[in-house]
Amino acid sequence: MAEPPNSAPQQADALLQQFGLELAFVEPGRPTAGASLVAIVGKLQPLCGQAPAPIGVAIAACLRWLDGSARSAGVLTATDLENLGAWQPWMVTAVMAWDRGQAVPVPPEAWVAAAGATIPPPNRLATTSDADVLDQPVGVLPGDLDEELGQMFCAEAQDLLQDIEQGVLTLESNAQDQSTIDTVFRAFHTFKGNSSMLKLAVLQRLAHELESLLDQVRRGKMALTRDSIDLILKGSDVIRQYVDEMSRQLGGVDRGRTIRLPVQRIIADVHALLAGKPATPVMPATRATPATPAVAASTVVAPAVIAPEVAAPEVAKPAVAVAVELPTREPERTPPAMTAEMVSTEPAVAAPAGVVRVDTLKLDSLIDLVGELVVAQSQVVQSQELKGIANEHLARSLSQLRSITSDLQRTAMSLRMVPIRGTFRKMTRLVRDLAGDLGKEINLRLEGEETELDRTVVEELSDPLVHMIRNSADHGIELPGERAAAGKPAAGTITLKAFHQGGFIVVQIEDDGRGLNTGRILAKAVERGLVNPQESLEESQILDLIFMPGFSTAEQVTGLSGRGVGMDVVRRNIEKIRGKVEVESVPGKGTRFTTYVPLTLAIIEGLLVGVGDQRYIIPTLSVQESFRPLPGTVTTVQGRGELISVRGRLTPLLRLGRHLNTPTKADDPSRGIVVVVESGQDSRCLFVDELIGKQEVVIKSLGDVFRDQHAFAGAAILGDGRVGLILDVNALVKLKAPAGEAAA
Amino acid sequence: MNDPAHATPGSHTIAQPGKYLVVTLGSESYGIPVLKVREIIRLCPITPVATMPEHVRGVINLRGKIIPLVDLRTRFGLPVEVDHDRNCIVVAQLAGSAGASRLYGVIVDGVEEVASFIADDIEPTPDFGGAIDVRFITGMAKSDSLVTTLIDLDRIAAADMATAATETLASPPVVSTR
Repeated sequence: MAEPPNSAPQQADALLQQFGLELAFVEPGRPTAGASLVAIVGKLQPLCGQAPAPIGVAIAACLRWLDGSARSAGVLTATDLENLGAWQPWMVTAVMAWDRGQAVPVPPEAWVAAAGATIPPPNRLATTSDADVLDQPVGVLPGDLDEELGQMFCAEAQDLLQDIEQGVLTLESNAQDQSTIDTVFRAFHTFKGNSSMLKLAVLQRLAHELESLLDQVRRGKMALTRDSIDLILKGSDVIRQYVDEMSRQLGGVDRGRTIRLPVQRIIADVHALLAGKPATPVMPATRATPATPAVAASTVVAPAVIAPEVAAPEVAKPAVAVAVELPTREPERTPPAMTAEMVSTEPAVAAPAGVVRVDTLKLDSLIDLVGELVVAQSQVVQSQELKGIANEHLARSLSQLRSITSDLQRTAMSLRMVPIRGTFRKMTRLVRDLAGDLGKEINLRLEGEETELDRTVVEELSDPLVHMIRNSADHGIELPGERAAAGKPAAGTITLKAFHQGGFIVVQIEDDGRGLNTGRILAKAVERGLVNPQESLEESQILDLIFMPGFSTAEQVTGLSGRGVGMDVVRRNIEKIRGKVEVESVPGKGTRFTTYVPLTLAIIEGLLVGVGDQRYIIPTLSVQESFRPLPGTVTTVQGRGELISVRGRLTPLLRLGRHLNTPTKADDPSRGIVVVVESGQDSRCLFVDELIGKQEVVIKSLGDVFRDQHAFAGAAILGDGRVGLILDVNALVKLKAPAGEAAA
Repeated sequence: MNDPAHATPGSHTIAQPGKYLVVTLGSESYGIPVLKVREIIRLCPITPVATMPEHVRGVINLRGKIIPLVDLRTRFGLPVEVDHDRNCIVVAQLAGSAGASRLYGVIVDGVEEVASFIADDIEPTPDFGGAIDVRFITGMAKSDSLVTTLIDLDRIAAADMATAATETLASPPVVSTR
């Protein structure tokens, strides 16, 4: 990847190339055309502060012409254009001579003559250009970029940018809308995170500044004015420009091309706004800010395309530095005659072939309908009337119908699935950086990258994974010396694995580090008052303590793990997506985190239980076991509280029928079934009439009317088309726990 | 469709002239703006949702969508009757949060007709001397000898949401009918 040109003459040369390109698009008499030229020369002027005198004279002359145009709203006359047309090649030659340390040619008389009289006050442009000058042309693809990550970044960036723009437009009409402000803020925040993951410094910086601007607004410390809205839009335009260029280059178009963005200028404006001043109200540079893709394309420095005759390596250094890097990349594919505008029509190429982005609402309604189709299909196929017809043809058709419907259902469900690969790849990057920061050698092994999960699950899983990997790298893997002493290879290994198991996706993070020290964990937990010192805990229970809120073994707060968020957050996040996380550890050998997450959030596997005429669904993941209690095993306390001993642990009994005001068939627990459910550390026995079966159901929201009840987490449509309610196990278990229910 | 009435409970808008679906509850007639009505279906299996006020009968499956079902009789404090053949469900499409629409089902005793009321037919809601709850009534329409009470489902739904778990509204909670 090309380094951005750094010496002043090289930068000047790049600017001149850009100037020439701009000039080519200027028509005499058309307003505003001069603005971008002014901006370029504005950047050029301070660059050439050290340049031989004739260059300064020429720049002054040029500014004079442009200054005239600026006064007439950017309209350039034919004479101006002629002058500028001669000026640009002269400057190119002069700058080249400056760069090589040769004598700079003398500028034409006419330029010098007027110079002394009306050199424009340098301040006028310097104010705009100080900032702009810092906007080096940047390569959009970092050298060590993982292509796939880059693609994902671009796709996500497009979504975020859309959120931002939508949000900002909403804010224009209603600047007080807190939730929109939050949305935009979060979008920039996510963007910042993603950029830093890929080491896209420019974007990271820009997003950071805009984020802090929004943060002020969010906290009510600043009102959202037209200026700030403009600035946010401008910023997102620049980001979009960058991302568009990135995805074009990832698509193989003009790889390695550099791009110039007014990042510093926007940052300066943000600072000004935050300091309570209006944005620098300088007309030309503001206009020069590429606001639309069309303009954006024309400001891109595209050496091979624009100036083929200067593309000899020893001539135009800055621009060509790029072209030299990748000379073998089928240069003939880009016809020299191609204009920048033609190039700019190509971004469509960058989109991965055959992918359609679909509104999730449409997807959901498709899945709803397919679900209904399956119900209707089974009603038809199982109808007694049809079964009475002994016709081979009909039977074949029906079985055909059944298999098509189930294929259709599977396909519909798979629409939301994406491979976990993207998230795993991000971890590669993370581990590499962590290893570097911690001075450790760590290899990351990935297994089962192709495992598919619901997109929402993948997204929700990302943060917990980062946390657990940090934990493994920071606390698990030892320093190379320590490893060698323990007879292990110097480089530690973290294995990240995904696979299917029993209807769930299992994601494991395994390291071969020092393992967890149960003694220390226990001591810490006692010290923090999390456990009673007298209590005797099994090893697995001790390990489980690390997921308790308020527990953190990090003895020194590092930038990595000491963020005040511990493993309890990991557990909470995983439980939020109806998963669970466990930890195993062998001292000296390593630690293994195992997370079980559902394939999708749209479907759960549920245990269908009957209470009276009603059927309820209990999510299988929270079911420990179910059994029919023997008569006399239920202990009554004060005539009301009931307890059952489940594997030696006294567990409160909740009669579901009574709790939900549903008449039951069985009143005596020994004639019904007890389902033991757990949530976190607590469990409870639910007494139901019967177990009907296990079923996968599509979860549906109960809607606004039912949002204040806590008995049910949602609803699902059962095989016969009726609605079954999904029990909120968490709420049932936490239901005003009677005293004596010790958390073992 | 965009009936301003749903916006703020409390502010009282008078019913607009237009077409109304006339339904019966016992011997009384009620009018629902026809543009709100998405469809009318027969009574179907209802899944009760415990812990809800009595007039919320539960949820039903409308072609893969789960929609809440409110018994208008109970809602208006009319005597509870056993469901019969003439009962049907009026599925209304109401304005939901964030510009989306949502479906809301009401059980009525019967559906009579679609009637057109002109402005002259409609009178503002009289003051019943506080005897009844007039929050959901937007006006009274008279045609021939019949008087139809025009109601605003949006407001009924909004009140359900506001009070779902806490208040039991017009009627005391009766568990036995379940």
